[in-house]
Amino acid sequence: MRILLVGFGFLGRELAKALRNKMSLLIRIDSDFRVVGAADSKGYIYSEDGLNIERLSGITKLSEHEDYKSGREAVELINRDLCDVIVEATPTNIKNGEPGLTHIRLALSRGIHVVTPNKGPLVLAFRELMSLAEKNNCDLLYEGAVAGAIPIFSLARECLQGDKIIRLSGILNGTTNYILSRMFFEEIGFEIALKEAQEKGIAERDPSYDVDGIDTACKIVILANALMGRDAKINDVERSGIRGITQEAMSLAKKSNYAIKLIGVVDKRLEVSPKLVPINHPLCVHGTLNAIHLETDLAGEITLVGYGAGKETVSAILNDLITVLRNRSGKSPKKS
Amino acid sequence: MKFNMTLALADKPGQLLRALEPIAKNGGNIVSIIHERDRPVEGYVPVSLVVDFPSHQSFRNTINDFRSLGIMIIRSEELVEKVRLTFILIGGVDLKKIVESKVEGAKIIGLEASTPRLEEVTVKLDVEIPAENVDELMEELKGLAREQNVILISPIYP
Repeated sequence: MRILLVGFGFLGRELAKALRNKMSLLIRIDSDFRVVGAADSKGYIYSEDGLNIERLSGITKLSEHEDYKSGREAVELINRDLCDVIVEATPTNIKNGEPGLTHIRLALSRGIHVVTPNKGPLVLAFRELMSLAEKNNCDLLYEGAVAGAIPIFSLARECLQGDKIIRLSGILNGTTNYILSRMFFEEIGFEIALKEAQEKGIAERDPSYDVDGIDTACKIVILANALMGRDAKINDVERSGIRGITQEAMSLAKKSNYAIKLIGVVDKRLEVSPKLVPINHPLCVHGTLNAIHLETDLAGEITLVGYGAGKETVSAILNDLITVLRNRSGKSPKKS
Repeated sequence: MKFNMTLALADKPGQLLRALEPIAKNGGNIVSIIHERDRPVEGYVPVSLVVDFPSHQSFRNTINDFRSLGIMIIRSEELVEKVRLTFILIGGVDLKKIVESKVEGAKIIGLEASTPRLEEVTVKLDVEIPAENVDELMEELKGLAREQNVILISPIYP
């Protein structure tokens, strides 16, 4: 299969490294596996015979590559059917989903499979994109879009096929969990914990997207739509963030054996808000960890814990890519 | 639905069986029974029962049957499943409004406040409430929090 990487930011670069390291596994699954192109917002590189993955994984910007064609766009490659799968990893945009939404729509409408960790298009157009994928007999996989390396969608798809998920709750944002964990353990105020997170590169300079619960709300929408058959939109989420959490509140909670965590919940409602979580509850994880707790009619309670962002997300993207290869080539991967 | 009952039975043979018959007749399922034979008071033995009845009506029928049989009822009440919930409120909390809230069966059983500055008072509230009224309490507290511009931190699974 011919793979096109769209987006060459942190995740795109990490994926290139993972593809280099796992190339023998990928070739065993699909003997014609090759990365034919990589695009960023200003241009692309393309080779029908496949790019030199060693070279691609060694650069930090695509423009460093000798074959970089500046001023060109990924849509040209998609439009000319020069790939079988795109990995759409452009930055998340929850206002209009672009440029990811255009890339995904175009790919699916042309029968090209899509693997994406990009939340924006999924939050805005989940049902439309899933229908488009089905209509064109394509895979649209998005494991990396929610809770990074935690295999929540694969688990539900493969292992809970007969279960009905009754309630889903989770810590889905590592930045806020880091801030609240520092407040819990070090007894410091929100502002100091936020500043520390910014200095460590865990929080953005403008932290609104994380601390106001917008990121968690996006993930809740995707989870509700993908796992619980809803047709939820971001405005359906009742949302409050963690800005107002005081050191005193955290101390009072701690004295009663609770931690305050930013929790997203899907049951009869969709809600993101700070909650009191008993310290012995499986969701009560600390630092930048994420956790998802499922309550199902047959399996009962299941909790998954892992890293929700960073290079670990590549695990989810690679697994999705391998799933496409297996679905379409009919071979099972053998581990070396 | 479960009911707690204490009966006073005459301290003579066959009285316990006589008392159990109306319960069985009305579809009651005995969950527990304590027959304090060694503690007779003025010729009567206290018997404490927890009985699961299919309806309030079947419970009332049983009570009527006891009365017509001349069985003395010391106490009878419905056992209501109660839950304890902890909330934290941050901001200018008007506790009076919370105390005056009219959710049936809600009882404040603990209150702790921290006031670094008066406008930033943080309050921890422990509430005991019948399980069936939890949703109503949640809505009431959310409404009060909105009204007073207060941050409400509720339990993860109320």
